[in-house]
Amino acid sequence: MAALEVTDLATRFRTDDGIVRAVAGVSFSLDKGRTLGVVGESGSGKSVTFLSVMGLLDPRQSDVTGSVLLDGEEMLKASKSRLQQIRGSKIGMIFQDPMTSLNPVKSIGWQLEEAALIHQDITRKEARQRAIEILKQVEIPRSDQRVNDYPHQFSGGMRQRVMIAMALINNPEILIADEPTTALDVTTQAQILRLMKRLQDEYGMAIVMITHDLGVVAELADDVAVMYGGRIVEQAQVDDLFAKPEMPYTWGLLGSLPRLNSSGGRLEQIPGQPPSLLHPPSGCPFNPRCEFVMDICRQELPPLDLSTVGVEHRFRCHLDDEARARIWEQKRAALVSADAA
Amino acid sequence: MRRKQYLSLFMLVLGVALLVAATTVGAATSATQKASKSGIKKGGTLKLNENAEDFDFVDPQLAYRTDDWAMLYTTAMQLVSFPEKTGAAGSQLYPQAATSFPTVSKDGKTYTFHIRPGLRFSDGSPVTAAAFQRSWERILSPKMGSPLGVNLDLQDAIVGGTAFLAGKAAHISGIKAKGLTLSFHLTKPNATFVSILSMQWFTAVKPNTPYDDKGINVYPAAGPYYIKARNPGHSTVLARNPFYKGNRPANPDQIVFTPNVDIDQSLLQVKAGQSDLDIGGVPATAAADLAKTYGVNKGRFFVGATSCVNYMAMNNARAPFNNVNLRKAVNWAIDRPAQVRLLGAFAGKRTDQMLVPGIPGYHPFTAYAIKGADVAKAKQVGGSAIASAPTLNVIHTPTATSTNRAQIAEFNLKQVGFKINDVPTPATNYYQVIQTRGTSYNFVTNGGWCADYFDPFDYLNVLFDGSKLQAANNNNYAYFNNASFNAQLAHAASLSGAARAKAYQKLDQELMVKYAPVVPYLISTNRYFTASRVKNWIYSSYFGSPYFNALAVG
Amino acid sequence: MTQFLIRRIFWAIFLFLVATIITYLIFWVIPADPAALAAGKSATPADVARVRHYLHLDEPIWRQYLRFLWNLVGHQQLGNSFVTRQSVNHIIGQDAPVTASLVFGGAIFWLSLSIPVGILSALRPRSILDRVSMSFVLVGISAHPVWIGLILSYLIGYRLHITPIVGYCNFFPGGIGVQCSGPVQWAYHLLLPWITFMILFAALYVRLVRANVMETMSEDYVRTARAKGASESRVMIQHVLRNSLLPVVTILGMDLGLALGGAIFTESIFNLPGLGHEVINAYNTADLPTITGIVVFATVCVIVFNFIVDVTYGFLDPRIRPS
Repeated sequence: MAALEVTDLATRFRTDDGIVRAVAGVSFSLDKGRTLGVVGESGSGKSVTFLSVMGLLDPRQSDVTGSVLLDGEEMLKASKSRLQQIRGSKIGMIFQDPMTSLNPVKSIGWQLEEAALIHQDITRKEARQRAIEILKQVEIPRSDQRVNDYPHQFSGGMRQRVMIAMALINNPEILIADEPTTALDVTTQAQILRLMKRLQDEYGMAIVMITHDLGVVAELADDVAVMYGGRIVEQAQVDDLFAKPEMPYTWGLLGSLPRLNSSGGRLEQIPGQPPSLLHPPSGCPFNPRCEFVMDICRQELPPLDLSTVGVEHRFRCHLDDEARARIWEQKRAALVSADAA
Repeated sequence: MRRKQYLSLFMLVLGVALLVAATTVGAATSATQKASKSGIKKGGTLKLNENAEDFDFVDPQLAYRTDDWAMLYTTAMQLVSFPEKTGAAGSQLYPQAATSFPTVSKDGKTYTFHIRPGLRFSDGSPVTAAAFQRSWERILSPKMGSPLGVNLDLQDAIVGGTAFLAGKAAHISGIKAKGLTLSFHLTKPNATFVSILSMQWFTAVKPNTPYDDKGINVYPAAGPYYIKARNPGHSTVLARNPFYKGNRPANPDQIVFTPNVDIDQSLLQVKAGQSDLDIGGVPATAAADLAKTYGVNKGRFFVGATSCVNYMAMNNARAPFNNVNLRKAVNWAIDRPAQVRLLGAFAGKRTDQMLVPGIPGYHPFTAYAIKGADVAKAKQVGGSAIASAPTLNVIHTPTATSTNRAQIAEFNLKQVGFKINDVPTPATNYYQVIQTRGTSYNFVTNGGWCADYFDPFDYLNVLFDGSKLQAANNNNYAYFNNASFNAQLAHAASLSGAARAKAYQKLDQELMVKYAPVVPYLISTNRYFTASRVKNWIYSSYFGSPYFNALAVG
Repeated sequence: MTQFLIRRIFWAIFLFLVATIITYLIFWVIPADPAALAAGKSATPADVARVRHYLHLDEPIWRQYLRFLWNLVGHQQLGNSFVTRQSVNHIIGQDAPVTASLVFGGAIFWLSLSIPVGILSALRPRSILDRVSMSFVLVGISAHPVWIGLILSYLIGYRLHITPIVGYCNFFPGGIGVQCSGPVQWAYHLLLPWITFMILFAALYVRLVRANVMETMSEDYVRTARAKGASESRVMIQHVLRNSLLPVVTILGMDLGLALGGAIFTESIFNLPGLGHEVINAYNTADLPTITGIVVFATVCVIVFNFIVDVTYGFLDPRIRPS
């Protein structure tokens, strides 16, 4: 059974300007031990999807529909106390900005102990031991001393390690990481990703890696879901996605990756803006920016079709197979020659 | 001069002797008399608020405010004093601790008193002549800080006073106290000496009362009450003197004073019965309603005369008010009724003279427009000098009432044709501006004067004798200086009895009709409201308040 | 840490000197003559000179100021009142507990009211509770304490006879010349003054707490706490309140320090013999030693309270501890 099975998840926000459809029908499943990369721009709905999964949205302002099965249990119908039980013990979540994600007036030891004490029936002393241990595991040196320090005494990278420690202290089945390295410099980024991979091997948990960075996806993910305008527009295993991306947005993402050996000049970007979630475009959410847009794109949402390449490789696009294959070939060639240059 | 003096005292003694006889006869049966008086029961605690500041001192030789004296009256035992009676009877001296009015020597310089035997302080110790000697020493001793006796030049009045004040003598040689006999040796005859003795300064104090420039707070007293407890700024508690056996009323068991209460809140407390009386009076705006509900002097709302005259002063030493016609014009122009209305209902009586009822020599007359401003007459009297008059600097304090008063007066002055410069002056330097010779003030609207003692000297000489003007601290802040008038004032001061009264009556009139240095407009009254349980209201026009020891709340 | 303390103490002394010099200068600039005021209305120049000499007012101003400073630092004496000649130390010693009763009692009231209301308003923005409390805030900030005091004492004290109209009772039973004493009477008489005094502060603090709590609730670490599975009450108490109430501590310290200088309006209306009432009387009678004494005391209070706030804040917020 999949650790996490999400079906038709939709999230609407009630705002003063109207209803915002942040997530408009997202389905995926996550298996034990595997890493799902969720890619998209800001406003694509990738973070909201998982905040909805965790039940961390304010019910007075949001509506979440669909189905989220965690080990077969329906989370969207779970009671508040049940959700509190699950959060931090079965699912751990870490967030983007480590500078602000820790309580500044409590020592990190206290915060780690809190995470443990909420869910485990242990004494404070035992919790403290656990905290020191896990700090060691996330490679924080002199963890028995540093456990008494406060967040402001750590660097950004160290804080993110602490966040990871906090999320893992109760051995969760799933770790959701919402852009964990975006705020960090490249070297630290690499270190954190390496750490996460090692912990995954040790603990055997599933990871959801939410990011806008395809490079991170390439390194860590087993499966990828590309989101745009609140929907999944392509999902595949990672190698399949990079080998044969099947829709224009994915092509744009791949094309806009900076090349190490490029001659400078402007980065290729996808022209246009992310769609308004208040008044989403009809039909395909990408149609206003797509260079290959057709009339039908504006009228009908393309369904998730199965690709010929790969296992469970789905995509949304009205272009026919032949057109897509041709266009991708052209683009790939251009990329390769740019690499060679 | 001497014969007249002796006669006058004799007349006084005679006149009062009957009174004294009546009270001493009555003393025997006083106990039963008191009990049978309608509705007056002894006992209870009289709760008095004060909407002004607390007594600055309760030390009888340091206290100088009217409120201080009204309170100290209940604890005082004087050689001569005023009785707890209303009206004119209340300003008739009678011998209190003394067996009778003093024997005066032929040269008028020696006064001899005999103290009644059996008088006691609240600690049981006897009252002797030395007690009164001590009060004189404390009023003139340099060890009391700034001795108040100097204010009336008492050190010059008594033999040995100057030496004592200078610290050169341990006692005042001119005062001899032996047992119950007390004699004063004056440097020269003084017609007001006996009245001076009625001031609260000269109450009996124990001969061993120390000199203390901070003032003593709790001490044995020989009057109907003594000060039992005092917390300066917070409260003062008087208790009945168990050793007082005289005829003065001592109705409440205790009298408690609470100062600094907001005047409107105080009224609420009295209405609710949480306090019995605010000795500072009622808010001006409340008077009309209270009168309507309770009537005037019928039970709870009381209006009492004072010896205080309100007046506006003109600077006679400076243009334009060095011109007598302009001063007279102003007296026609000022709207006296409007000024009185400003102070609320029953604020007082309009006047255009300086002396007030109760002062010997007072005789009512009307010289100017007392019913309202007469602008036409003012213009006529002032004539062309009005137009050429420089702009007037009008001084007043910045309180609401003072500002309103000044506005009305300025309106009147403008109607006549004067040009006005309004100068609000804070209370802290108000006195400096008007009392220092040579400042640029022309007109001040805040003037007023109350009696220190009941003699016309205290009004006319003190306020209008130009020969006494000095560089600063002038009470004559009209800076009126007329040689002929000065001489007449000096002459009148040397007279006594009926002649004195007649001379001052003439001067009072001449001052306003001929010279008009100031604009008197109001003889003020005090307005009081008592709680429903308060009985036996007897009002003292000298203090401007009721006799506290007579009020009954039992 | 010692360096921090030493610097703060030097700064405090400097502030103290500046405040007292300014007080003296202001008094000097006003052309008042306290000697004449003290001497009385019919004093001759000789009398006034005598009084002036007795009160040391004939010395140059800098000499008077130094005399004052020497008395204060050397003998802890603030001089004697010009009007009653009482020692100003004694006056302040009598009045300070009254003002302290009003201020600290009022503080307990306003904190007990504003913190829960502020939190509830923040948790339920735009609910009825929130709208009502914001209207209360508007009234509380706009209505003058004098007006509130008069209305309350009239309605509740006079009309309904529920509380006394004015007056103060000592906390400790007994005392010289007191008409009522003991903790019950003390609290009973202070009921309306506490309410009057605290309304303005309560209004300000409700707004402050509400804003702070709302802001803190949207902080990332609150989200983290929820993601850890913490219950709402745990989130509120351990994470939200602890952080959102920190600014309240700073402001509370400053407000208490200032208020101790005299809650003038409330004391005047309710006849509480505290420092505010005293300083008004002293001003009216140009009683320089009392005015200066109270200013000195108020300055010391503000300085002390700021110091306490600094230290407490360092204790509560690890980010600003001198390490």
